[in-house]
Amino acid sequence: MDTYYLMQVINGLSVGMIYALIAIGFTLIFGVLNVVNFAHGEMYTLGAFAGLVCINAFGSPLAIVILVALAGGAIAGIGLERIAFKPFRRFQDEASLKSRAMREATLLSSLAVSIIIKELIQHFFGAEMQTIPGQYLLNNPIPVGPLSLSSGQFLILGSSILMLGGLQYVLYHTRTGLSIRAISNNPLGAKYVGLSVDKTIIATFAVGSMLGGAAGIMVGLYYGAIFPSMGFAPSIKAFVAMVMGGLSSIPGAVICALILGVCEALATNYLTQGWSDMVAYSFLIITLIFFPQGIFGARRERV
Amino acid sequence: MTDTNMKAHPMRAKLLTAAILLLVLAVVPAALSAIGKSYYMQVANSALIFCILAASMNLITGTAGLLCLGHAAFFGIGAYTAALLASNYGLPFLVTLPLSGLAAGLAGAMVALPTMRLISIYFAVATLGVGEIIHVTLLNWVSVTRGPMGVQIFEPITIFGYKFTSLLSIYYVTAVLACISIYLIWRMTNSYFGNALRSVREDDQCAEAMGINVIKLKIQAFAASTFFAGIAGAIMAHSVGYISPDSFQFSESILILAMVVVGGLGSLPGGILGALLLIMLPEAARGLGDMRMVAVGVVMFLSILLLPKGILGEVSAIQMARRQFNAAWNGRQSVGWK
Repeated sequence: MDTYYLMQVINGLSVGMIYALIAIGFTLIFGVLNVVNFAHGEMYTLGAFAGLVCINAFGSPLAIVILVALAGGAIAGIGLERIAFKPFRRFQDEASLKSRAMREATLLSSLAVSIIIKELIQHFFGAEMQTIPGQYLLNNPIPVGPLSLSSGQFLILGSSILMLGGLQYVLYHTRTGLSIRAISNNPLGAKYVGLSVDKTIIATFAVGSMLGGAAGIMVGLYYGAIFPSMGFAPSIKAFVAMVMGGLSSIPGAVICALILGVCEALATNYLTQGWSDMVAYSFLIITLIFFPQGIFGARRERV
Repeated sequence: MTDTNMKAHPMRAKLLTAAILLLVLAVVPAALSAIGKSYYMQVANSALIFCILAASMNLITGTAGLLCLGHAAFFGIGAYTAALLASNYGLPFLVTLPLSGLAAGLAGAMVALPTMRLISIYFAVATLGVGEIIHVTLLNWVSVTRGPMGVQIFEPITIFGYKFTSLLSIYYVTAVLACISIYLIWRMTNSYFGNALRSVREDDQCAEAMGINVIKLKIQAFAASTFFAGIAGAIMAHSVGYISPDSFQFSESILILAMVVVGGLGSLPGGILGALLLIMLPEAARGLGDMRMVAVGVVMFLSILLLPKGILGEVSAIQMARRQFNAAWNGRQSVGWK
């Protein structure tokens, strides 16, 4: 393969990993609550801004910045759950959990909260792009054989693989993970065997938003630009990946996010920057028309 | 029931209609002229355009129960069709208006054909994707749409040789067209067609079993709704004179959705009230400055939380108005639930 194409594939993989981290949050929350969290893109933005505040105010080392972004994402996720989701979970019976009105009310409330968060960030930080100080920027070239990768790509690929591994450990080897899986499988059954639905939902939001926040700060450090509406485009792409993956399958979402990232990176050879957004949306429409339940999904009953 | 009442009391129905028309066509512009600021005339103009948009979105999201997250894109198709036809070929307003409605309606039908099998969130996601595709196209197809620079219309609105140049006359054109559009949508939602759509919203399998062609009905509703969104776009393009892709983004779709939700899903008066409220609110709260979208978000959130049925929910708007108000209006004694 041509070196240039190999470079593009690696660029695509690192962008795809960002989509994957956001998509996992979507998928986890959809699995547990059966609703789409439209404010998830704002968790990404909040993570990035938490990191930025940490850089500008304290000049702390990189590891601390990422930890702060993780914590910021987790706190934002818990707050979001409290404000936009908890008030709409007053009715816990199966009919309400499946009812269209309940689901759409939650969807709309998360949309409303996402508008509020975005506009508040814009109010306090301004609409223009915030620049990252030079010493934090992660675009030093690192030669690997004939390729020239940047340190940001190493960080993104490395830490997202680490986080995916950590997530897998949490989901399959801890009690919290067990209850997340139980509730996403059968909420009422899980409740009857004594699992705390509320605590599990809070844990899910914390974990999902943590990954989103980490993705936000990593993109900020790699591209050097943080702005209030930065969450929209990646979260739509992540959303596409989640729908392609079948809404409730984490491996499906990750694979589709990587496919999406690579396809977009390769498409920039043939299309200009603006048009490359079309790739994801076309994928979305094609998937919905031909595989209405996603490519890797089809196990969950559609209600 | 409304039909029979209107037939039984043609005078009163006519009086009510006349009162509303008088309010929109005479009292509001007179009051705005009395304030003496042309700026408020533009606000009133855009409020009326958003009334058409909210009413049209109410047809699919409220009455048919299909959550549409890309409504602004069809608004944009209408606006761009009108603007491009007017600026490139110099076509008059009376030609571009129906053409842009047809273009948006055709686009809506094209979108609806494959996506109508999708339900709830899948349909919402598909319309979101379509909306973004249309926005990206408007932004990047520079040779046709002039990209981010937008399109300008220099010719004023001309109807039968009369040029509408002043803000007041443009307001009149918008008001008349808005009244006609909203009346047509109102007739549609209160006909057999609208009731069939409500049955599809409540239980599509049951409606199908009763012999309703659900897919066809949804496609018709979507095409009709996007037709009126296109009409609104054409009015906006001609009355403002300049359009750019910024006006047709996801955030505008959310604004229209917020209007419908705040007013009450499925209730046409509610949608119009929501549109007026959410356009006037930022003007009333000008002190907030750049916090105006925060206010929109807060109003939307609180209305979902505290008024799940909206300000004028469908039940209160249709049944309460029909039962209580009509009974009193017709001079019958039995005011109450039947």
